[in-house]
Amino acid sequence: MKKRNNRKIQTRLERALEIPKEISSNEPKITIMGFNEMLIENYKGILEYQEFYIRISTHIGILNINGFNLNLTEMTSDDILITGKIETIDFEEIQ
Amino acid sequence: MYIRILLNYILGYVNIRIEGYFVEKFINICISKGIFLWNIKREKQATAYANIGIKDFKKISKIAKNTKCRINIQSKKGLPFIFNKYRKRKVFAILLIAVIIFIICLSNFVWNIDITGNVAISKEEILNSLEENGLKIGMFKSKIDTKQIVNNIRLKRNDLAWIGIKVEGTNAIVKVVEADKKPEIINEEEYCNIVATKEGIIVKVNALNGTPLVKEGDTIKKGSILIGGFLEGKYTGTRYVHANGSVYAKVWYTQKEKIELKQSNKVQTGLSENKYSVKINNFQINFYKTLSKFENYDTIEEIKKMKIFSNFYLPIEIIKNTNYEQTLENKEYSIEEAKTIGEEKAKQALENTVPNKEDILNTYINYNETPEAVEVEVIYEILEEIGAKEKIVF
Repeated sequence: MKKRNNRKIQTRLERALEIPKEISSNEPKITIMGFNEMLIENYKGILEYQEFYIRISTHIGILNINGFNLNLTEMTSDDILITGKIETIDFEEIQ
Repeated sequence: MYIRILLNYILGYVNIRIEGYFVEKFINICISKGIFLWNIKREKQATAYANIGIKDFKKISKIAKNTKCRINIQSKKGLPFIFNKYRKRKVFAILLIAVIIFIICLSNFVWNIDITGNVAISKEEILNSLEENGLKIGMFKSKIDTKQIVNNIRLKRNDLAWIGIKVEGTNAIVKVVEADKKPEIINEEEYCNIVATKEGIIVKVNALNGTPLVKEGDTIKKGSILIGGFLEGKYTGTRYVHANGSVYAKVWYTQKEKIELKQSNKVQTGLSENKYSVKINNFQINFYKTLSKFENYDTIEEIKKMKIFSNFYLPIEIIKNTNYEQTLENKEYSIEEAKTIGEEKAKQALENTVPNKEDILNTYINYNETPEAVEVEVIYEILEEIGAKEKIVF
């Protein structure tokens, strides 16, 4: 009960200070540029990487990307840039 | 992100092939340890390609062992590998360093002096006075004290209103402003006559102050008084004044040209030969025999100063001598031809001396024919103001 209260106060404070969500929380930020580029920030790691299929784990669930010629163009510990022809994206939320 | 890739290019990077069943695991561990991978491409089930910096490559082998991956270097890229390629060329490197040192040494001297802004004073004259005061070609740049030189020259020469020296690269730019000579101004209170500057026939006398001594139609000589600087009154006697007014006269300009009927002209045959020589500072090397293969020829000399950049002159000059072969051609003019040629020549010469073309009243052309030559005399009659003030000396 106390923990939940703390969390509430924290979120309120963050909203008041206008801190970007991707910094304050662990939620991933996914940016898609056209059909060929995709930037995922705040990710945990790669679960599977094939030319046509990428599975990325994040703090709130798993992100599946389908397409062709998918490359991991740039990778750092915070963000990942995927280029290639992206066809579908779907999420698997952790219950 | 691009800065990071660029940095890796400068430091060097390798393209590796990762083989194994746990490529994802390998990538995850790499990233968690802070190793930067980019351009990861999956090819088959068990292989992937990636770029990695040189420094990080050493750490990778342990991770590969743990994840049971095999790693091969596909290609090495970046500046260190490019330099490594040329490591064995020692002579090339030594010469490159030698050339750079040579150029740096040369850049400490002045190898060219540009003079701009001079009209009446010749370049050689300015160069001479520059040399006297310590600026000449081949001098050490740091020894030049431009302020001192400018002051010295300005003290010595009266005909320069301003002089500025700017050293740019190996080039010294000297800017000069010439002083105009002041016309002699006669004070309004001083007594003066108006005197003829040229010979001619008076057309109009317009005296504002003083006594006109000439009439219309008078023929006058150079230096004769036109308007006297005095006034005579019945009661006051002679009184000296500052004469003022304008006197217009017809003035003749003549030009004689003698055209010989038989002329031998030099005509170029179109054949030419080039002779090159190199001049290093004051030492000239000729690359040719001094004798020309032509009997009659005209020589044109071209000097080219070597420079690297726009302002970096080297003490090397390339001199190109071009000899054009000529033959003498005899030509005979008819009398009419000679007349027209002479007329044109004389008119051209006159037009350079005549101040205003619009003032030409009449042109007279006289011909004098002899068996060998034709003499053409062109006379321009011009209306001109000929009065000039001259002080009365008692």
